[in-house]
Amino acid sequence: MNRRQFLWNSGGGLGGLALAELLAAEQGPLHHPAKAKRVVQLFMSGAASQCDLYDYKPLLIAKSGEVWDPGEKVELFQSKPGVVMKSPWSWKQHGQSGKWISSLAPHVASSVDDIAFVHSMIAKSNIHGPATYMQNTGFVLPGFPSMGSWISYALGSANNNLPTLVVLPDVRGYPPNGPANWSAGFLPAAHQATMIRAGTANPIYDLFPPKSAKFITAQSDQDAFAEIAAMNRRHMVGREDDSRLEARIASYEIAARLQLSAPEVLDLAGETEATKKLYGLDNPITEDMGRRCLTARRLLEKGVRFVQVWSGADNGHPRRNWDSHEDLAKDHLEMGTSMDQPVAALIKDLKSRGMLDDTIVYWTTEFGRMPCSQGSLGRDHNPFGFTSWLAGGGVKGGVSYGATDEWSYKAVEKPVYCYDIHATVLHLLGIDHTRLTFRNNGIDRRLTDVHGHVIHELLS
Amino acid sequence: MHIKSLAIVLVAMVGTLVQAEINYTREVLPILTARCQPCHQPQALLSQGAKLVATISGSKPAMPKSGAPLTEAQVKMISTWVAEGARAGDPWWSQRPLAKVTPPTAGHPLDSFIAAKLREMKLSSSPQADRRTLIRRLTYDLHGLPPTLEQTEKFLNDKSANAYEQLVDRLLVSPRYGERWARHWLDVVHYGDSHGYDKDKPRPNAWPYRDYVIAALNSDMPYARFVEEQLAGDALRPNDPQAIIATGFLAAGPWDLVGHQELREGTTDKNITRLLDRDDMVAATMSTFISQTVHCARCHNHKFDPIKQSDYYAAQAVFAGVDRADRPLDDDPEIFAKRRELLSQRRKLQIVLQPLLDKLENATTPELDRLDARIKDAKLLAAHIAEPKTADESARKQGLKDRADADTAIRQKLLNEYMGLENMAQTTWLMEQAKKLDKAIATLPKPKQVYAVSNYFARTGAFIPALNPRPIHVLLRGDVNSPGEIADPGAIGVRFSIADPKDEGARRLALARWISSMDNALTWRSIVNRVWHYHFGQGIVDSPSDFGRMGAIPSHPELLDWLAVWFRDDAKGSLKQLHKLIVTSKAYRQTSANRPDGATLDSSNKYLWRMNRTRLDAESLRDSMLAVTGKLDLAMGGPAVRMFAFKDDHSPVYDYAGFDPNSAGANRRSIYRFLVRSAPDPFMDRLDCPDASLLTPKRSTTITAIQALAVLNNPFVLRMSESLADGGGTVKQVFRLTLGRDPGVEELAELEAFTKKHGLANLSRVLLNSNEFLFVD
Repeated sequence: MNRRQFLWNSGGGLGGLALAELLAAEQGPLHHPAKAKRVVQLFMSGAASQCDLYDYKPLLIAKSGEVWDPGEKVELFQSKPGVVMKSPWSWKQHGQSGKWISSLAPHVASSVDDIAFVHSMIAKSNIHGPATYMQNTGFVLPGFPSMGSWISYALGSANNNLPTLVVLPDVRGYPPNGPANWSAGFLPAAHQATMIRAGTANPIYDLFPPKSAKFITAQSDQDAFAEIAAMNRRHMVGREDDSRLEARIASYEIAARLQLSAPEVLDLAGETEATKKLYGLDNPITEDMGRRCLTARRLLEKGVRFVQVWSGADNGHPRRNWDSHEDLAKDHLEMGTSMDQPVAALIKDLKSRGMLDDTIVYWTTEFGRMPCSQGSLGRDHNPFGFTSWLAGGGVKGGVSYGATDEWSYKAVEKPVYCYDIHATVLHLLGIDHTRLTFRNNGIDRRLTDVHGHVIHELLS
Repeated sequence: MHIKSLAIVLVAMVGTLVQAEINYTREVLPILTARCQPCHQPQALLSQGAKLVATISGSKPAMPKSGAPLTEAQVKMISTWVAEGARAGDPWWSQRPLAKVTPPTAGHPLDSFIAAKLREMKLSSSPQADRRTLIRRLTYDLHGLPPTLEQTEKFLNDKSANAYEQLVDRLLVSPRYGERWARHWLDVVHYGDSHGYDKDKPRPNAWPYRDYVIAALNSDMPYARFVEEQLAGDALRPNDPQAIIATGFLAAGPWDLVGHQELREGTTDKNITRLLDRDDMVAATMSTFISQTVHCARCHNHKFDPIKQSDYYAAQAVFAGVDRADRPLDDDPEIFAKRRELLSQRRKLQIVLQPLLDKLENATTPELDRLDARIKDAKLLAAHIAEPKTADESARKQGLKDRADADTAIRQKLLNEYMGLENMAQTTWLMEQAKKLDKAIATLPKPKQVYAVSNYFARTGAFIPALNPRPIHVLLRGDVNSPGEIADPGAIGVRFSIADPKDEGARRLALARWISSMDNALTWRSIVNRVWHYHFGQGIVDSPSDFGRMGAIPSHPELLDWLAVWFRDDAKGSLKQLHKLIVTSKAYRQTSANRPDGATLDSSNKYLWRMNRTRLDAESLRDSMLAVTGKLDLAMGGPAVRMFAFKDDHSPVYDYAGFDPNSAGANRRSIYRFLVRSAPDPFMDRLDCPDASLLTPKRSTTITAIQALAVLNNPFVLRMSESLADGGGTVKQVFRLTLGRDPGVEELAELEAFTKKHGLANLSRVLLNSNEFLFVD
């Protein structure tokens, strides 16, 4: 049982520590000194191809078009393996570290010395739904809390004006599994994510009364807050022991502060033209992802602890995420271009503001793609080897960890599951992943299930 | 060793023999679990005695194989325990048979047990709450709704001695009772109206199960029957549509459509998909009915409870013959009988046909593979063009289609050669017979459908029925690629004897009867504790779905057993009698006010020195707003109400903001909402409405700023505020409607001033946001 659970369980029965949960002032690290204070997770929905972005394999170029024979039976999701397919993009070395990056990600390439690539990722499912759950929650089944919820549960809020945990979905729609990807699962709803649809008219559900409610004016709204508080204080008389009643009074005060701070943090008008340009807000292709990456930086700056930014929606047609079964050159070009500049801008911007030192940037996807074609111009799912990367927040830059075989097919060197990445991120936040537990349905559940090793080679 | 030395002191002082034995559960088991369990079941080590000690002691102990040797203190602890006889202690409380206990005193039996415990704690119960509080508490508890003003007035003025009992009876007779308590049950069994996962498709025929639960509760179906029908109603009474609907229980949880429909037979991921699908059925069954965490034994023996990995796979074998699928039903018994006969023939035919079809489908030669790839490729590229926008695209799409057609024709020729003439002829003949049967089935009147479990259904993509039970193996480390011995159907410590092993219904029926048996103490303890939990806000056992060693310990063990026996034998499994017994106790009728002695001695109110105050759950809050505004639509049953704008797509869009509040059914009770697993209703979600993919024996109650904003600004709440105002009336009237009492003098003056400034709708908004509205004393 960790400290929070102890407090939760012993907090005066049903009253609980509602107030403490609500008004979580910044807490110290949970288990050991922390190197990072906050995380931004960039999730490439639909499976971004490692061998078209970061995992350079000369053999793919040499054998392109030949029959692919990795020396064993290959089980693909949709198809039977086709010929070896080289990347439509060219490869070049970058930075001090001399990292090979494809021409699909020239901006990320310019930041390689800040990045630790993990090339030996393995997923436990080759189906988008379960695999996307796994990267988010550590489980292939629905109903488990997301990484951000666990972090909120462990560390509480770092501010009293904004949510602890924010998710910025792609403007084109939700990824596979929908909002269940960022569910708090069995953790208390206090650790639910707040979804912000940046750039839309009503970015946060119910932040303000809808225009259709014509009976509400600015004055009536303000007076309503006061009147609710007055009624609730009267109701407290004789019920002073119940911290939930006090917590509800406080929740309206925080709500009022949120109404002030949220529009402010979402308004990009105060950003310089140079910054907007850096994120690609001047280009329709990068605009959406750019806005959300910039919004992420602003949220992190204001004390939001965990921000998740999605690149890509569901797996439907026409393609609107990274699931390039049919025409990789076309569809990955679109996704890669929309992702590359904004993501690199985020690293650079955080760095220039001195925030990269204690902010973890975590780029991931649910699985990778096959080195062969699937009989078409696309690539099928590859759960056996793919790439994720980390930057900032105590992560060593210019590192490449683990490796796939000569085809970029299977992780052969230092295989890594999401458990290890999750354990490492928690470690940097001062949390021992084996001690962050919550009892559900008979089991002390962890983000890392019964697995996970901190990857010390990635730490600075 | 601290305890031991203390014991010696005690022996010296008192001069009696005080044995301070090493406690197995507290002291030894944690060591065995942490260090031996990965390979050895602690239970098995009990009989090892001296051999165990020899294995773990010495300078280079043989065990544990990995990690550091046990510490000196740990070895000493275990050797002392072995010297004392290596006893595992008494069985865990929930493993013992139900004790026949008598209440300590006369009077209401529940109060007798509770008072005895309070006396032990030097506490006493609180005075009875006033009638206004009682009727509100009771109506919310049994109906999930507030009492109307008239109902409150009537109860306040009822001079008869048994006014409260009459109120209880009236509430239990109302159909609102079944709606309220079915919602609790649906939490426990993780009912939802969509499949979940990627492509979260609607499950349009799930609702009959929801209606079954409501009807079963309203008709006070005996609990044993309620259990049996949900697990094996179709095997128990195959000609009763309601009994088939009941098995919607097994299908209630999430279902991985992509894994089932798109993955080929025999692949690793397909096998994992099926394993996890049955896992969900096992977990739901065992935690719902017997409060056991059998699902913890998928990869190894249970770490804390006497549940072997082989027990887990025995439970999986119970469900080896079914998948979640729509089942047809007819109201007309004759037609239904005819349909069942035809479907049975059709299934038998498919048993012969399927292996041939499999051979066909898995046919592989280099030339066939090449053609397959070309055909698939053409289809993918054509799909990718979607709606052709230019003539060039249209031509390209047509070209791809023509190419695929030509390839398909060549493929068929090659296939005939591959299969051989005789097989091909048999396959063709069987397929013709199948077609005939399908046609005969299709000529029957259109049936109703219910989402339940089935061993035969028409194939969708790669989703094919089991036909006969699939072989279930004990999987080493839970890995589908490491099958061990075959698992026969059974449960914890028992294997069922089934006359015909191919009769999958008999497997489920055997499990149903094992659970509903008079001797299964777990079953009867589990249900009375669940009911208790919802009445008091906390169970006698505070982990209602986990009665194992990692779960909570009963606060009142004698009361729990008495209640279980009474419910089973005297009440004959009548939940309504159980409710009545509980709500007529003094314990239930106490005030919820704080008391210094109680707060000091039992701050969590484990021993019930007062009643617990509760916050309305999401459904009760929404229903209450509809009720006080007079908008509540009490129509019962039928398809779930979609309180979102729906757009079907690869992944359908469930748009809550786009919902038309004036659409039909918009004001119905929350239990009739369409529950989307991937995208829960944000308003309900903020109010702790649980994830429909999660077995939820107990809801959490949280309070957040985002929740405050939802209650303040959600269009639904604002619509309700306007509706209240539309009814007109005075400030006092609106106040009474929402809070069920008259305002105080100063309070009224303050609210009248507010209303004068901002109108009744704004007043209503304030009242609907008040703690008094949201909490029940």
